[in-house]
Amino acid sequence: MDAVVKKIIMEVKKGDQQAFAELVDLYKDKVYQISYRMLGNVHEAQDVSQEAFLRAYTNLDSYDMNRKFSTWLFRIATNLSIDRIRKKKPDFHLDDPVGGTEDLNYYSQIAADEELPEDKVVQYEMQEWIQNEISELPPKYRSAIILKYLEDLSLKEIGEILNLPVATVKTRIHRGREALRKRLRHS
Amino acid sequence: MACEKTKIEQLHKYLDEDMTLLEKKQLEQHLKSCSECEQHLRELRKTIAIVQSTSHVEAPPDFTAGVMNRLPKQSKPDKWKTWMRKHPFVLAAAVFMLLFVTSVSSFWSGGTGSQITVQGQGNFHIDEERSVVVVPEGETIEGNLIVRNGDIEVEGEVLGNITVINGDNYLASAGHVAGEINEVNQVLSWIWYETKSFMSEVVNVFNGSDPPEED
Repeated sequence: MDAVVKKIIMEVKKGDQQAFAELVDLYKDKVYQISYRMLGNVHEAQDVSQEAFLRAYTNLDSYDMNRKFSTWLFRIATNLSIDRIRKKKPDFHLDDPVGGTEDLNYYSQIAADEELPEDKVVQYEMQEWIQNEISELPPKYRSAIILKYLEDLSLKEIGEILNLPVATVKTRIHRGREALRKRLRHS
Repeated sequence: MACEKTKIEQLHKYLDEDMTLLEKKQLEQHLKSCSECEQHLRELRKTIAIVQSTSHVEAPPDFTAGVMNRLPKQSKPDKWKTWMRKHPFVLAAAVFMLLFVTSVSSFWSGGTGSQITVQGQGNFHIDEERSVVVVPEGETIEGNLIVRNGDIEVEGEVLGNITVINGDNYLASAGHVAGEINEVNQVLSWIWYETKSFMSEVVNVFNGSDPPEED
């Protein structure tokens, strides 16, 4: 895996732009997942994760080949997501009324070709609820929890991505877990 | 709520398996007697399970194309360089083809120019203005004749072969040719002819003898 990634990076550095598509394919789901869980919105997630790949492409010369590429890439994605959260306008919710309409909310804008089976609805609502809970966490705990429990990364890797000592990563995970516990314990 | 603040920290360390065996044993002992701490640990475990139960999201299908479209456009030379690096054989073949075609065309059109030339010995004369080689009446050519970039009119006699490259052969009623008459006007047959004559020369050099006088 690492050898394959290094080979692709060498090709991109030599000027083969098309080889970069292979890198995107390898990491797009993970990068998208980080941005989506950080931002809680598909449009912003797509925008930020694509931006992360663009930054990776234009700054490829500053990537240290002796380090793990994914760590470097996830770091770009996390930083961009945190920047976006800081700049974020007041939250946008599906329940918000659509501008210029009376009782049309964003749910009714989502195309529904067929009735969802009930268990799917339940599952969908469950996912929505968990995402909301994650989104309520302060960003510094959110990133640590996402990297630990959704990306399954080691504390050392999380530390490298967030540019923090492992001890600080531990504290953030502890605080994040504690904050989530308080919200979820009565569910 | 857990009993003491220090114990909460202990519970997290316990979850992370980040404590010594002794600490672990002591905490497990404590959990048996303290329902508050035991409850707290259970809630933390449940929290982790809930977070982990979120399905993995996937990037939208057109994601990669979207990134590639937003990449800075590469300059033309870069694209060429990359392409050439990827296809060295095509490049080699193209260079070879180019050299081959230029050398062939320079032989064909340039080389001797459009000047008429004759290879062979005997009493013929060259009419430069009309680009014609004339073998006059009563004259006999013993060997072969090769005419380039011109025509040949045979009024006398030729005992060998006649080859006309890039021209025509006119045989007068009185004229006589003992050997074969070849007209080479197509590029391909000219190439074939050149190759044949080159090969026969090589063979002759290897045989260590002069080109045979075919008659």
